[in-house]
Amino acid sequence: MGIALLAFFFAFPFVYSAGNYDYIMHICIVGFFYAILASSWSMLAGYAGQFSFGHMAFMGLGAYTAALFCHYFFISPEPTGICTEFALGSNYLIIKNPIGVTSTTLTQDCLAQAMEKWDGAVTVSPMPVWLGVILGTLVGGIFGLLIGLLVLPLRAAYLALFTLGFSEILRATISAEIQITRGQAGIELPGLFENGITIAGHYFGKTDKIPPYFVMFFLLLGCLAILYWLSRSRFGLFVRALREDQDAAAALGVNTTRYKILVFVITSMMAASAGAVQAHYVTIITPNNLMILQMSLVVAMAVIAGVENFVAAAIGAILIEFTLEMLRTSFNIGGIEIDMTLWRLVFFGVVLMLTLRFARNGLLVPVINYFSRGHVAAETVVRRKQSESSEGASTAPGVQGGSS
Amino acid sequence: MQYSSIFWWTILWLIFWGVAGGIITRRIYLRKDLDTSNATLGGSVIGAAFGPVGLVPLWWKSPEISRAMITLSSLVVIGIIAVAFANADPENNCVSNGSFVASQITNGLIIGIIYGLMALGLTLIFGILGIVSFAHGAFYMIGGMLVYYMVVVWFPGAHPLIGVLGACALTFALGATFERLFLTPMYDNRVERPIEYGILVTFGLSFTLTYLVAALAGFNPVKVKRFFDFPRIRLPDSSDPWLIKTSRGNMELFDTVSISNPRFVAAMLSILVLLALLYFLHRTWTGKGLRAVSQDREAAAIAGINPNRMNMLAFALGSMVAALSGAVLVQAFSWLPIVGQIPEMRSFVIVVLGGLGSLPGAFVGGILVGLVEAAGTGCVPNPQKASSYIPAYGMMILVLMLLLRPMGLFGRKFASGAHGKF
Repeated sequence: MGIALLAFFFAFPFVYSAGNYDYIMHICIVGFFYAILASSWSMLAGYAGQFSFGHMAFMGLGAYTAALFCHYFFISPEPTGICTEFALGSNYLIIKNPIGVTSTTLTQDCLAQAMEKWDGAVTVSPMPVWLGVILGTLVGGIFGLLIGLLVLPLRAAYLALFTLGFSEILRATISAEIQITRGQAGIELPGLFENGITIAGHYFGKTDKIPPYFVMFFLLLGCLAILYWLSRSRFGLFVRALREDQDAAAALGVNTTRYKILVFVITSMMAASAGAVQAHYVTIITPNNLMILQMSLVVAMAVIAGVENFVAAAIGAILIEFTLEMLRTSFNIGGIEIDMTLWRLVFFGVVLMLTLRFARNGLLVPVINYFSRGHVAAETVVRRKQSESSEGASTAPGVQGGSS
Repeated sequence: MQYSSIFWWTILWLIFWGVAGGIITRRIYLRKDLDTSNATLGGSVIGAAFGPVGLVPLWWKSPEISRAMITLSSLVVIGIIAVAFANADPENNCVSNGSFVASQITNGLIIGIIYGLMALGLTLIFGILGIVSFAHGAFYMIGGMLVYYMVVVWFPGAHPLIGVLGACALTFALGATFERLFLTPMYDNRVERPIEYGILVTFGLSFTLTYLVAALAGFNPVKVKRFFDFPRIRLPDSSDPWLIKTSRGNMELFDTVSISNPRFVAAMLSILVLLALLYFLHRTWTGKGLRAVSQDREAAAIAGINPNRMNMLAFALGSMVAALSGAVLVQAFSWLPIVGQIPEMRSFVIVVLGGLGSLPGAFVGGILVGLVEAAGTGCVPNPQKASSYIPAYGMMILVLMLLLRPMGLFGRKFASGAHGKF
């Protein structure tokens, strides 16, 4: 089942060839982005029981770090003389001065002035994109550590409020510091592969969807692999013990402090890396991406699919993203225009409430359990064999394992 | 700002001693085996106010930290910040213009009363159900929308107060229905983690209601005309420095403070509602039952109060109060389906500041937050920045309060059920 899904997503960009190819690919990439967020949030909330509402803030931290890094740092072989600059071997690291969006001409920063003076004689190269993504991930981790330390004594409702507060402060700061972050206008980034890329002899242009598709896909796979490994190791056990009863876990020798902080650091790094890649993919990041609405989408995706199973959360996020996009088309009933862009969100909210009320494990978890019952079946086979042999019966081992 | 370095260095000094005081005082009190519930808050405000001069005797003698000490030190901290600000920016409106300051304080108080009313609903819900209702902002929005629809769309010409009453009745019913349908599994351990369940399900309700209203009413801002006009008054009649002068939409006191009609009317209505609520909670059997359940669930059940019934009442009443504060404010602001978000966050701030579950705390917290926001909007030199930062001021209070004293200014450490857990 899992392998089939993987193969499907691997083959999809090459097999699919309808007219809306770019649109479908875009939904896939955004779906992967939400899948990373939802699955890491399910590790944080579902496994460790830390109901954080600040996950989108970590995403935004990653994205804004990458954006600011690309926007302000450049490498030049010649010193400009007017910017802040450091010698790096034979080159110079140039830090542009922030001018914000209020200046009449947006190209009046020190680097633009210097380039005007050089008149094309010197080529200034921007920083590599991957470095920004890594930096964003690290910043996300550092803030995750900080928040993890601060929320140590807080539980349940207090934790939710604290993380909400953190997220709102970050959003307000970003929208207020127009000089640096350009506020509500958002900050522009270069694309993931600004100059195109050649893979296996085939050239992909800047707007081609296949390279970002696979970047986001491999990022998702990496996150899922890490989450899988964590959940199967002692870490997963300890973290679940933390969720069930923190005091009892501490009494049994679990270092609750360390694991609580670790789970914050790991999940916020995942969110930050997803944010950085997504920001480079859509080439703009605005503070509205950090709004509570975005957070509620992630929460709702994880909860509807199953918050205590990160695979379900990831698959659910992709499915829900697709469903929401498919429901976008408005239609008429008896002359009344039904504006589906809003009604789909109403249905989404109703589904969220009903899932919580009547299917607490989420809608996807039973499906996944159905397909993955092979392990259980194998165990049952062994047990039946044992009981049969102990009874001395000599029937043929005819019991088969479950499907796939 | 002219000499902004003075201001920022002072702030840095305060933060340094505040952090040092908070952490070390708690350590010392723990080691001496003393009560640490006030140690973090007390240590940090004393540290920020008096620096090493205050901290060393505190650490050495380690007296019991009383409420008076905390209040005094906080006032000193506010004074230090104010003096530093006045020195750093002597030409600011907040420093040089006395009537502007008076006007800001009055308006802060007035808006604070309305904030307090809204937060009262949230704290009522928390005190009894033990959950933070994330649908509070949605109820606030619905209250205003219902008034608009009743007064302007469905029954044009109806008196606004009828609209307010209708909005109250409808939201009360909505709250009660929602509680019966979705919150009942929390009470008998049918869900594993009731607090998180409550947060998520109210979150879902908020999402649904917001977009339902958006789908039905559209995203155009609507507004209701002011409920009442002021009578034209000028007292004393002919002498020049008047005490009070009103036009239909505005009131001026002492030639300095100007209050707009919608806000004044909203605040007066809020005070009326508040008094009615206090009467209900303290003088009627049902209200006493509500308070009893919030203090001790089991004991209240033994005394013949049905806690489940009280849960329904509390959620419906709390949501109704939120809707009511929206209904009285719809005349002051233009109304959108997403208008509830900022007031919701603000209510979170207020209840955390006053103590989750504490009724007087919500009221005092509301007024404090109203004053802080008024100071924030009036005094920050760059008005564009100030308006972006408004939500952040409250959130900083919330974050600080959760770090220093999670039970809030008036909260009890040990409440019944899940409420006492942080």
